Amino acid sequence: MAQPSNEPSLSVIDRVRRALGRTEPIGAPINPPPVIDEPITRLVQSDIGLGELFARRAEENKMIVHRVYPEELSPTLVRLLMDRNCRRLALPDSPLLRKLNVIDNLRGAGLDASTWDQMSLDEVYDCDAGVTDVFAAVAETGSLVIRPTPQHGRALSLVPLVHVAIVQPLDLVADLVDLFDNATREGNRHGLTIISGPSKTSDIEMNLVTGVHGPCAVGVLLLQ
Amino acid sequence: MARPYEDQTIDGNTTRFLREAAESPFDFHSVSTQAAGDERLKKAVNNATMRQYTGRQLQLLELPDADKLRTLAGDIKQHALENLDYYLEQLRQNVEKNGGQVHFAATGEDAKRIVMKIAMENHCRSIIKSKSMVSEEVNLAHALEDAGLDVVETDLGEFIVQVSHDKPSHIVAPIIHKDRASIAKVFSEYFHSPYNDDPQSLTAQARVHLREKFRRADLGMTGGNFLIAQTGQVCVVENEGNARQSMTTPRVLISMVGIEKVLPRLSDLSVMLKLLARSATGQVMTVYTSVFGGVRTAGEKDGPEQFHLILVDNGRTEILASEYRETLRCIRCGACLNACPVYRKIGGHAYGNVYSGPIGALITPLFEGLHDYKDLPQASSLCGACYEACPVKINIPEHLVRMRRDIVRHKFNGRIERLIYRLWGWGLRFPFLYRWIGRLQKFDLRRRARGSGWIQSLPKISAGWTQVRDMPAPAKRTFHQVWKDRPTDPHDSN
Repeated sequence: MAQPSNEPSLSVIDRVRRALGRTEPIGAPINPPPVIDEPITRLVQSDIGLGELFARRAEENKMIVHRVYPEELSPTLVRLLMDRNCRRLALPDSPLLRKLNVIDNLRGAGLDASTWDQMSLDEVYDCDAGVTDVFAAVAETGSLVIRPTPQHGRALSLVPLVHVAIVQPLDLVADLVDLFDNATREGNRHGLTIISGPSKTSDIEMNLVTGVHGPCAVGVLLLQ
Repeated sequence: MARPYEDQTIDGNTTRFLREAAESPFDFHSVSTQAAGDERLKKAVNNATMRQYTGRQLQLLELPDADKLRTLAGDIKQHALENLDYYLEQLRQNVEKNGGQVHFAATGEDAKRIVMKIAMENHCRSIIKSKSMVSEEVNLAHALEDAGLDVVETDLGEFIVQVSHDKPSHIVAPIIHKDRASIAKVFSEYFHSPYNDDPQSLTAQARVHLREKFRRADLGMTGGNFLIAQTGQVCVVENEGNARQSMTTPRVLISMVGIEKVLPRLSDLSVMLKLLARSATGQVMTVYTSVFGGVRTAGEKDGPEQFHLILVDNGRTEILASEYRETLRCIRCGACLNACPVYRKIGGHAYGNVYSGPIGALITPLFEGLHDYKDLPQASSLCGACYEACPVKINIPEHLVRMRRDIVRHKFNGRIERLIYRLWGWGLRFPFLYRWIGRLQKFDLRRRARGSGWIQSLPKISAGWTQVRDMPAPAKRTFHQVWKDRPTDPHDSN
């Protein structure tokens, strides 16, 4: 049945067109795409209590969640990292982290913190933890959303064994619907990665093992 | 008959198929009989599928209206298929706008050639490859190995498949047919390390080994769960982080994806992602969902310098033109495998191809030819569990019946079977004859039951029916007789 083309000269798009019974390209879809019906797609209706919901869901995703006031941020972060023997840290070059004095405080606590603009990709492989801000956080699924930029490398939240993310209330969106609506509005040129817990596998006899190729622990510091 | 397995490991050896060596036409009866006789394989597959099946059911309860959401997801996929030429063109333009290159591959051979060419032109030697069904379909890893390239499957399950020269047996859980002992054995040989069958240690061993591969790789490969026409991007879901590695470190990135994976809009993902992980593994979301495409922007220090999107046809346009267009909606979640009472008893290898279970029974004959896989559409009791589980509402049972019709139409069924049905059809035209034969049959069957109520064996052509179970003897009086003599309802007559 499905043998290779009997007319190899025909391009794949031409073959698709012919399979659909058309001879000419169409300038617009023949029918409008289905409306994404909010009542059946949206799971989180309200914007109230998103912090609560996000924290609960993130914990269900096996992330370590601390709700902190700005002044508690650095001590909590240092404790979280020290408890896991993280000494060498990689951070994005981020206005938020600068504003919160995170790098200075980490260095003050004796940790070896480098920012992305001062390090190479290969050096991230030798780091114990990545400490990042986020592009967004989704309450519905308890997920962090990272967007790669020149200031925020992809490797920071992937390569080190531990990832700690600092989430501000402003970062929270209610539902995946909102995340993709926002991303559509600004074009999403840089793409995004949604993170819902530590790296894991159940490939061997359905046994859950965390820490496969990504971090084996993900911490979240949710600012109040 | 179950054989003793005390000192053996479960690795699906009884049903292992190698595509190169596979008989043509594929002998489903022999392979599935062997598989169904392997009690430990059956138990392993059954446990894993039941777990994913119940996980799925629990997670769907969280949705406001799972049934309507499945309809919407199916409608979106169907819309994309009806306008596939338009969306592929839009996708191509947008990928190029993001600095990527689009290659169309008419066949699996073309797809492999394109990958090879990109690898050669860029002097790439070390390839990290994440899990992708289309790459299994075209047998990519083998082709790259044969060309002398260092290619490593980085998904844990696929890595185990690669080092044990096996084949995946489930769309989502590739080594569902293996137990920890068989993996431990393979690892101790591969890594020259002491035998250790603790899943945590086995995973750690693979992690350490693959991490160095990630660090040094110059070509990354991924598949794609969805393609977004609107933004020219690929969406990949995974739990391990190995696909993210492919898009982070190597300077060249290739995503190989089937043309049917296109979605019109980025926001369609909010519908699809709410169904995909729930249907596949009973998760709300997989750990990582990445939407990516194009090359790194100015000033970026990681991400690919080159991005190639290979869009594979390999028989899909023929399916698109046929009555089976709807099957191209498939998002490869594996829910129909987990739901299927046949798959649960025989596992994936018994289907003789990369796509197994109900959806495999349908698309393998479409991809590979109905004549060689004519038994697969019969590998179903048409119970409908697959349709009920499908997140994009592909009516699998209906298509299986349609395909059985095609088998008859092409006379791919046996001569004797055709003769029997012709005689039966002829008998049905004469009610007297039909009842008389029925009565004769009843008499014969009751005689065979010898008053026990159960028939233990039937002769010749019907022998298969009683091979693994007894058949209840027919009642003393036929339905026709009971119906004729039924007491009249007093309410009816008045």
